[in-house]
Amino acid sequence: MAAKDSPLKQFEIDPISNIELGGYNISFTNSSFAMLITVLVITLFLTLTVSTRSIIPSRMQLISELMYNFIAQLLSDTVGDNGKRYFPFVFSLFMFVLIGNMVGMIPYQFTFTSHIIVTFALAAVVFIGVTILGFINHGIKFFTFFYIPGVPFYMHPLLIPIEVISYLSRPISLSVRLFANMLAGHTLLKVFAGFVVSMPFFTGVFPLAFIVALTGLEILIAFLQAYVFAILTCLYINDAYHLH
Amino acid sequence: MPQLNPEFFVSQLFWLAVFFTFLFVFLWRVSLPRIATVLEKRQNKIDENLSSAKELQEQAMEIEKKINDQINKAKLETDEKIKETINALQENVSSQLSSLDKDLEKKVSDAEKEILKSKDDQMKNINNEIVNITKLTVGKITDIELSDNELNKVIETQKGSFN
Repeated sequence: MAAKDSPLKQFEIDPISNIELGGYNISFTNSSFAMLITVLVITLFLTLTVSTRSIIPSRMQLISELMYNFIAQLLSDTVGDNGKRYFPFVFSLFMFVLIGNMVGMIPYQFTFTSHIIVTFALAAVVFIGVTILGFINHGIKFFTFFYIPGVPFYMHPLLIPIEVISYLSRPISLSVRLFANMLAGHTLLKVFAGFVVSMPFFTGVFPLAFIVALTGLEILIAFLQAYVFAILTCLYINDAYHLH
Repeated sequence: MPQLNPEFFVSQLFWLAVFFTFLFVFLWRVSLPRIATVLEKRQNKIDENLSSAKELQEQAMEIEKKINDQINKAKLETDEKIKETINALQENVSSQLSSLDKDLEKKVSDAEKEILKSKDDQMKNINNEIVNITKLTVGKITDIELSDNELNKVIETQKGSFN
């Protein structure tokens, strides 16, 4: 298969304008453009729909309020009252991933959440933040997080390394989950789109129908992955407050 | 795989940091407080309406209680009035009946007295008539002049057989 037609070509980054800063290439690319669109969509939507501040909301205002309540509920369910302080961060994270995924569902639009470096950076921010939070809340006692009470003593040499590894692999699992889902979904869509063109006569309608169905599924996954990202962040914040 | 090409890693990270920081600060400082204000305002309005509804309900209950009290009071008063009126009427009737009875008794006794009196008068007249008739008859038949006293004596002695 020629590189030009590769299903992975959609993930290639094209600079829109070349910028260099201190020897680093920080070009504004199609990925940055997708982020810009995402941020604009979120900020404009949340600002304009609530601009009237009506007690009886319009439908658009209701959407903003539902999103607000959705994440607020998520935080209070998982973290409790402590969670209120992290609401702006979790909300921003959820909206950024959600709208990033949704913008990626627009044909010919770049999906920045399909890049491991982006998802890993987001996951790393969560991981580092939560770890710092754990040390702030518990000091050195935070290390008891790796000690599971109520287990026979001879199991600890086995369990503590497992706990440490599972803790350290959190940012990897968090970022790879989102990245892999986006990558697989978009690749699959592209592969089937290739079938639509290459199949003879009218048989191309079958992969086309599959693409339509798959697009619906991908929109669901786009939401689901944003939700998973947000809920795992909440759970990690909760862990930073409540050790075992 | 383009994802693993490090050529644009720095660019990606840089713009991610720029846009995500902007988004975070904007949402934290502008959008979320606005939505929170709206939600709070609505909650306040709902609470206010609920409390005023509760207040109104309490007032309504109070008024209802007052009405019921007044109705009960009015009922009691009415009962009292009815009883009083019945009593007064009964007294009135009985006093009128007794005064009527007295009147009637008096009239009856008056009438009895009159009857007795007229009877006495009649008896006296009868005596006189008897005396006169006897005098006339005896005088015509025998030419004897009888004195009234003598005649009266005879009549008195005979009277027992008249009565």
